[in-house]
This record gives sequence, structure tokens and C-alpha cells, in this order.
Amino acid sequence: GQEFQFGPCRVEGVVLQELWEAFWAVKDIVQAKDNITSVRLLRKEILQNVSDVESCYLIRALLKFYLNTIFKGYLGKAADSRIRKSFSTLANNFFVIASKLQPSQENDMFSISESARRRFLLFQRAFKQLDIQSAQTKAFGEVDILLTWMEKFYQ
Amino acid sequence: DGVAILPAPQNLSVHSTNMKHLLMWSPVVVPGEIIHYFVEYQGEYESLYMSHIWIPSSWGSPTEDPECDITDDITATVPYNLRVRASLGSQTSAWSTLQHPFNRNSTILTPPVMEVTKDGFHLVIKLEDLGPQFEFLVAYWRREPGAKEHVKVVRSRGIPVHLETMEPGVPYCVKVQTLVKAIGRHSPFSQVECVRVQGETLPL
Repeated sequence: GQEFQFGPCRVEGVVLQELWEAFWAVKDIVQAKDNITSVRLLRKEILQNVSDVESCYLIRALLKFYLNTIFKGYLGKAADSRIRKSFSTLANNFFVIASKLQPSQENDMFSISESARRRFLLFQRAFKQLDIQSAQTKAFGEVDILLTWMEKFYQ
Repeated sequence: DGVAILPAPQNLSVHSTNMKHLLMWSPVVVPGEIIHYFVEYQGEYESLYMSHIWIPSSWGSPTEDPECDITDDITATVPYNLRVRASLGSQTSAWSTLQHPFNRNSTILTPPVMEVTKDGFHLVIKLEDLGPQFEFLVAYWRREPGAKEHVKVVRSRGIPVHLETMEPGVPYCVKVQTLVKAIGRHSPFSQVECVRVQGETLPL
């Protein structure tokens, strides 16, 4: 038990409960800073009905975006050490997961990877429609949506 | 900011057993004064992408002892940089950084303490509570030629677990090891303990 199985991509060494606890510790603080309540970045159509095979492509794209665009910008501004502590747990575990995901690059997987890419682009477009600071704050506040979806692939 | 005239703490090392991690260092001594220490850490992500970011330890910022329990700070299986500095009033030392980053997958795993008992004809085991990261692999068998070894993974901690209903007169033996999924490792097996209904525990 205690591993992720995103279709063919298996990831050990991450305790999902540690991620939840890290997010719960700062959920109220982070989500209170999100003033744009009418917008949701990780909309239902992005995460709904994702096949196992497709999940590896999608989670990899999402985690890399979180690591390269959201966390990198957000942490520099987070003075509160509780946020930094939680952030560190999430970032380092996302880093572990992302580094272990090796989706197939075979040609016959092109349509599946394309489907995952379209889903990710929906998220990225929504992110880019906001100013960067609001978008980073909202995306960090939506980590619970991401973890809830990831939990389906956690055994 | 006070001028760093205090000597920096030396000989930093991490002692880690069963996923409990203790950072230790040599104390800075100023006769008649109490020195406070501040411990900070950064995971692999911070050290790669934002190396200026350090996070105060949960239990070691500040501390008066030349040690700090960093277990709650190490929450991913990646290398962590750790540093300590000393402080006395407005005087602060330079930072001392752990020479080699610490990864929790290097923790020492010891065989668990177990209590094998009989409850009537039932073979029961009770295991120490090592925390949520631990599972236990329990192997048990009838001590007789050709006996098959049974294996059970136990997640409950500190609660008696029923293993088997025993046949009178036959010794039943048990050994246990811990499993830590977060680091993908297990401990050595414990000593074997045997019991027999209407007999005493038979240490091997």
C-alpha cells in the first residue's frame, strides 16, 4: 500500500497524509487571500473522467507547473513560517512525484497524451487570465482539489 | 544586526533511528552565559530553485540545548540542508551548515519490541507504537518439521492482534520486522519468540 499508481506510472516514497496535513495547516490562511471567488482554475472538466493511462501525463504536467510557476513565485513572498513549512512539504513531495513519473513517449500513446495536454492547457489558460500574484495564490489554495484527485490513484 | 563575534557551532551531525531525527552539535560555551541556538532547514526543492529560502525548525528555533528534534521538519524523502547558529543577546554567530545533506531514507531501522502472549488458545501479539509511518510484517509458524510460515502485515499499533488459534501442546513461534513505505525499507527481524498452550514462553 501507500503508493501512487497513475496508470502505468508507479510512485513510492510519498505519504499522502503528510501532504494533506501540510495543506490543512495553512488552508484557511491561503484561501482567505484569494479574493477572486468566482473563478476556479482546476475546473471539473479538467479532472473529470481522466483514464488511468492519461492520468500519468496530466499529473506530470500539473506538478511541473506547480513546481516551476506557482511554488517558485509564491514562496518568495510567503513571510509566515507556517506557510513556508507547509509549502516546503508540498513542494518537496511534488518534486519527488514529478521526478519519478515516466509516461510512455510511444507514438501509439499520442492521442492520450494530447488529451491530457488539452486538459492541462485549460488550466494554464485560466491561470494566465489572472494577474500572476492572484493566480499563484488561487492555485496554491486549490491544492486540496489536486490532492483529492490524486487520492484516487493512491493505494 | 549584532556583529558575529560568537563562535559558530561545530560538529553538526544527525542521529536518526526509526524515523526520529535528532540534529546535534558541539555547544558554544561562554562562561556564565546562556547561549540560544537557531536551527533552519531547506529541502531539495528550495536548495535547487530558491537557495536563499531557509525555514525555521519547528522545535529548534530557538533552543538552549545543543540538539534539536527535526523529525517534524523532514517531511519528504529528499536531501535536506540544515544549519545552526548561536546567539547571545545581540551577538549572533555565523551559520554552521551540516556537511552532507540529510535524507530520511538513511534512518536506522531497529527490530520492533513485541509481546507475544496466549489468550486461551489464541496466539496474540502486541507491537510498540512507532508512529504512523510504520507497518509491521509478522511471521509466525508452528515449530514442527515442514511447518509453513504465515505472514501478516499489521498496521495497528499498540493494540493486541490475533494471529492464530493454537493447537494444545504445539509450540508456535513469531518474529517481526518493521516496514516504512515512505522510504521503501524494512528493519531486520526481531528475535524469535515461541509460546505453547499450557506451556511457558520458550526463548530460543
